[in-house]
Amino acid sequence: MGVEMRVAVVCSSNQNRSMEAHSFLSKRGYRVRSFGTGNQVKLPGPSLDKPNIYDFNTTYDEMYKDLLRKDPELYTQNGILHMLDRNRRIKPKPERFQSCKDKFEVVITCEERVYDQLLEDMETREKDDMNPVHIINIDIQDNHEEATIGAFLICDLVSMLSESDDLDNDIDEILQDFEPRCQRTILHTVNFY
Amino acid sequence: MDEEEGSTSTYDRVVELVNQATLMQKDVQKIGNLRQVQELIVHKEPGLLDNFLEEMLAFQSDKGNEVRKFIVSFIEEACKKEPDLLGKCMPCLQVLLQDENVNVQKKTILVLPNIYRTIVWWLIKSKPGNDEEKSFVWESMKAMKNKMYELIDSENDGIRTHVVKFFEGYVLALSRKTSESEVPKGMTPEKALTLDDIPNEHKFLKLKRLEEEGAKGFDIMLRFQASPHISSINLMTVMGSITTIAKQRPDYFSKVVQAFEALQVNLPPTLAKSQVSSVRKNLKMHMLSLLRHPASQDYIPQITTLLTDLGATNSEVMKSMPKIDESRKRKA
Repeated sequence: MGVEMRVAVVCSSNQNRSMEAHSFLSKRGYRVRSFGTGNQVKLPGPSLDKPNIYDFNTTYDEMYKDLLRKDPELYTQNGILHMLDRNRRIKPKPERFQSCKDKFEVVITCEERVYDQLLEDMETREKDDMNPVHIINIDIQDNHEEATIGAFLICDLVSMLSESDDLDNDIDEILQDFEPRCQRTILHTVNFY
Repeated sequence: MDEEEGSTSTYDRVVELVNQATLMQKDVQKIGNLRQVQELIVHKEPGLLDNFLEEMLAFQSDKGNEVRKFIVSFIEEACKKEPDLLGKCMPCLQVLLQDENVNVQKKTILVLPNIYRTIVWWLIKSKPGNDEEKSFVWESMKAMKNKMYELIDSENDGIRTHVVKFFEGYVLALSRKTSESEVPKGMTPEKALTLDDIPNEHKFLKLKRLEEEGAKGFDIMLRFQASPHISSINLMTVMGSITTIAKQRPDYFSKVVQAFEALQVNLPPTLAKSQVSSVRKNLKMHMLSLLRHPASQDYIPQITTLLTDLGATNSEVMKSMPKIDESRKRKA
């Protein structure tokens, strides 16, 4: 692309899937930001029905310290502390997509529900100069292994997209090429800021 | 600092920034400088805008694509601030619309609806006289609008997407509001142009003609939506655009519902499986948003049937049902 393509990766809590991809893409030099679309940040707790819930203003560092205090063994063993430690090195705290006024050329979501929430948000936004943004969903399960595979796939896709000089014209074809490679159904739409 | 001194220093600063920009090698730096100039002469001291217009417009032949794109948005801003500059800017826009780089062309198409509205307001509000210039500006705009009718068949998918957005703005300007018209967030008086603002008798603006033009633009969009080989991106863009039109101009509501009914049973055969999913998802979202609009009351059976076919659950549909307006109920 003429200017450096601005990419956003979005999952629900801006912890695992979007942060893994954020970390991966920024190491490769892409201009990337990450977000969540949920109302709150949810992390696994001692049992399925007892998740740890934070608001989007809590820093990764505060969550790290909170879980370290609660049960260091559990949260080390399930990888949550490791993840939070990685996250706090990337940015201070999770960000909610709906609160971000910055614009992107490409937004990649990691789950259909997140894609829906994002489209809903885009519909209610104030429009100004009508710049196009491509919104693409790739389903990624919310666990560490899948997040790593997902980050590879996202990186692969972003590299294909960033090679295009005329994204609006080429994107359909790029996605058609990409879809069999990633073996997941891709949702894609264009919206205008 | 007294006013005169302030003005001289702004003047000098602008000269310096423009001179530096001419010599800069990198597009990003150049645009950084030009952006500062824009801020100074459009917002801080609009009195200087005319002085430096030619220097700024000269960058329309810069070799950097991003620089030329910036000039397109500068022209939009400058004309919004000072519509009397339209006469000098229109020839540049016409050149930029034919630019060798497709991204510059697309940027130009995107600003055209705003330019169109600026021109119409200018023609409505300006004092009589100066007909030669007015005629020149209006004819230049017409030429660019005619170009849009050609470009909707462009070979480039992205150009077609952008032309659809042009027609969205164009049809909104050339149609009438009703009491049920939705007002989008951040609506400004300039953007709110409708046919109701255009006087009956005007030397350049012929109301009847413009009304027909608006309807013609809308038909073009419907025809485009129904074209058998439309790409999924263009299909979703035009679906979004006609939904916006239906909500802001309820006179078109019925035609939009019909167009979606026709589309649902006749999706383009060229779409891949996942594209069909994306399109159907989009269609469902638009149908729900149409259902929430008060004008949907006359079309509830059609819309709910369509939504059921698209896999909407009963509770999703019920949640989006319009609130029944007593006055309408009585009317019925």
